[in-house]
Amino acid sequence: MSRGQEQRRLLPAYLATGTGGAPIGSTIDTLTALRATGIPLAPYHTSVHQRVVELLEGGSLTVMEIAGYLGLPVSVGIVVAEQLVTDGQLKGSAPVADAAEVAANANRPSKEVMEEVLSGLRALLV
Amino acid sequence: MDSEHSWSSPQAGHAGTLSPSAGTGPTGQRPVYLPEGAHRRVKILVAGHLGVGKTTAIRTLSEIPTLHTEEVMTDAAAATDDLSLVGLRNKTTTTVAIDFGRLTLPGDKIVLYLYGTPGQRRFLPLWKGIALGALGALVLVDTRRLDASFEVMDLIEERGLPYAVAVNVFPDSPDYSLEILRAKLDLAPDTPLVQCDARQTNSSLNALIELTAHSIARAGEKTS
Ligand SMILES: Nc1nc2c(ncn2[C@@H]2O[C@H](COP(=O)(O)OP(=O)(O)O)[C@@H](O)[C@H]2O)c(=O)[nH]1
Ligand SMILES: [Mg+2]
Repeated sequence: MSRGQEQRRLLPAYLATGTGGAPIGSTIDTLTALRATGIPLAPYHTSVHQRVVELLEGGSLTVMEIAGYLGLPVSVGIVVAEQLVTDGQLKGSAPVADAAEVAANANRPSKEVMEEVLSGLRALLV
Repeated sequence: MDSEHSWSSPQAGHAGTLSPSAGTGPTGQRPVYLPEGAHRRVKILVAGHLGVGKTTAIRTLSEIPTLHTEEVMTDAAAATDDLSLVGLRNKTTTTVAIDFGRLTLPGDKIVLYLYGTPGQRRFLPLWKGIALGALGALVLVDTRRLDASFEVMDLIEERGLPYAVAVNVFPDSPDYSLEILRAKLDLAPDTPLVQCDARQTNSSLNALIELTAHSIARAGEKTS
């Protein structure tokens, strides 16, 4: 698909579906972590793209946190993140690396991961 | 900016690294970045009606100052309880606020995200996405307004999400025993029910521990 020199637009907030998750077919989730790759922005990117990339130059944050820091609706954060991953300025990592493991417990964390959560929480008790 | 979401220095002892750069957000907030190494991110919902203590519990547990997002929800279902708008517009937009916090567990292999989730059915479109993949939900309950919690408990049960109930005790709360509360809330025998002070770290951690143990016991069951 060729984008040419066309101006890219953000999804206006009023078009957001507000499902609290990614659009259908999206690989980006509210807990996908993103980090800047160092690839420069293109002329068609907007100031919102720029703020997202700048925020992620020093480390990784989830889409949820990006939206929180920049005051964007989460659904807009997802769309912007998706564009920047496609265009190369951001690199994403899934909340849980192993999709098969996720499927094994009806999308919930696996028993093994929850056991780790349990012992981690107990270790925090003072 | 609302002082409820103002920024203080993050709690010590957690993995987050403070950005050396100046603030980037509209309120000049400095991002607390995720651990560098490989880790899993796990979502837990903190649900309940307005004023029950969701933001308080999240703030108590979070290593980052509580963040706040607003989601615009455009959906016919959102309008069903607002008849004044029917006929004026085809669609109604509702803004749903979600507070959230983050808690890195010792060893930096798991990062928990706590999503403060409003409990009304009119936010159902939001619930569908937000419940997906969550370890479970901690339902906060105020004994002065027990009936205000039924809606959120129904929503969670419909989604098949494991949950635990934490009773926040306020100075003028009626003094019910846990057995009486269990009956009044019509809880399943295996649903954890604990008393909790959302302002106290150990008390809030204990509620998450009860929820996680329950989710482990229910692992493998189907959810929708
Ligand atoms: N006594 C007591 N007060 C609480 C507790 N949790 C919250 N509060 C207070 O109740 C009020 C509402 O809490 P908040 O966290 O904003 O409720 P939210 O609307 O569910 O986010 C605040 O003034 C809190 O300080 C609790 O466990 N015990
Ligand atoms: Mg709140």
